[in-house]
Amino acid sequence: MTTDANCAGTDGDCAEALEQLELYLDGELPGGDLGRIREHLAACYPCADRATFEEQLRALVKERCAESAPPELHTAILHRLDEMSIHGA
Amino acid sequence: MDQNNTTTPVKPGVEVDGTIVRTELTDARRRTLFEEQVMPEVDRLFGAAMRYTHDPTDAQDLVQETVAKAFQSYHQYQQGTNLRAWLYRILHTTYISMYRKRQRRPQETLQESIDDFSFYDESRTGPSAEREVFAEITDTVVKEALADLPDTFRMAVYLADVEGFAYKEIAEIMDTPIGTVMSRLHRGRKALQQALAQYARTHGLIEDDGDDQ
Repeated sequence: MTTDANCAGTDGDCAEALEQLELYLDGELPGGDLGRIREHLAACYPCADRATFEEQLRALVKERCAESAPPELHTAILHRLDEMSIHGA
Repeated sequence: MDQNNTTTPVKPGVEVDGTIVRTELTDARRRTLFEEQVMPEVDRLFGAAMRYTHDPTDAQDLVQETVAKAFQSYHQYQQGTNLRAWLYRILHTTYISMYRKRQRRPQETLQESIDDFSFYDESRTGPSAEREVFAEITDTVVKEALADLPDTFRMAVYLADVEGFAYKEIAEIMDTPIGTVMSRLHRGRKALQQALAQYARTHGLIEDDGDDQ
């Protein structure tokens, strides 16, 4: 893990926050660590800025991947279900 | 399809959240309930199928096959449990049985050096503000960057970042330990960021620091 050169903190808080950032953003950080990273992000601009960047990047990926199925797919599926129902699936 | 002619076993009611759910539904009721629950997921399943197969025709086939299999095994789905994870698990295994064999690429992995990459750090060196860089990254760029990831990394990233599944759910969908999910996610995201940064660099959105591979 690289630590952040932009972080002012030298007491290891930044290093810890950055190490936990991915879990935190994934909503997978255990309750005990949650308060600490939140507190740190509220107090440390460089870490908070990085967190926001990562968050926005995920949102971007999600947004850019949106697809809607062609209408004929819905029709084809319903037709397939009809066939299966007839054959007693 | 050899299972088409088997009849659905009649099961007793199952208690879910204090309510007895009758599993011996009539065919018509079963079909209606299935449609109500599954058809709204078709668009999202198609999105996942597109990222899995990279081809609209294959993606349609994959979703159709997935929904058909789900309908066949609908009696095994326990009402009140995670429907989406159940569906994506079927999509995932269906994809593997239908398509993975014909994939030209062997199971790839990502270089160790990927762990040190930071798009954030690189994005601070260019002429554009970080957020302006994002605006220039189009659908096609993101989709191609994802497509270039090795299969298992791409799926983990897609399931987490686009579908919002938790680690545990992804582990079930991909039938892999949580630790593997976490490392695929971490490295897959890094590789995706590297590809997006590469795009930003070649389009002058961030500075060329001269150490591209």
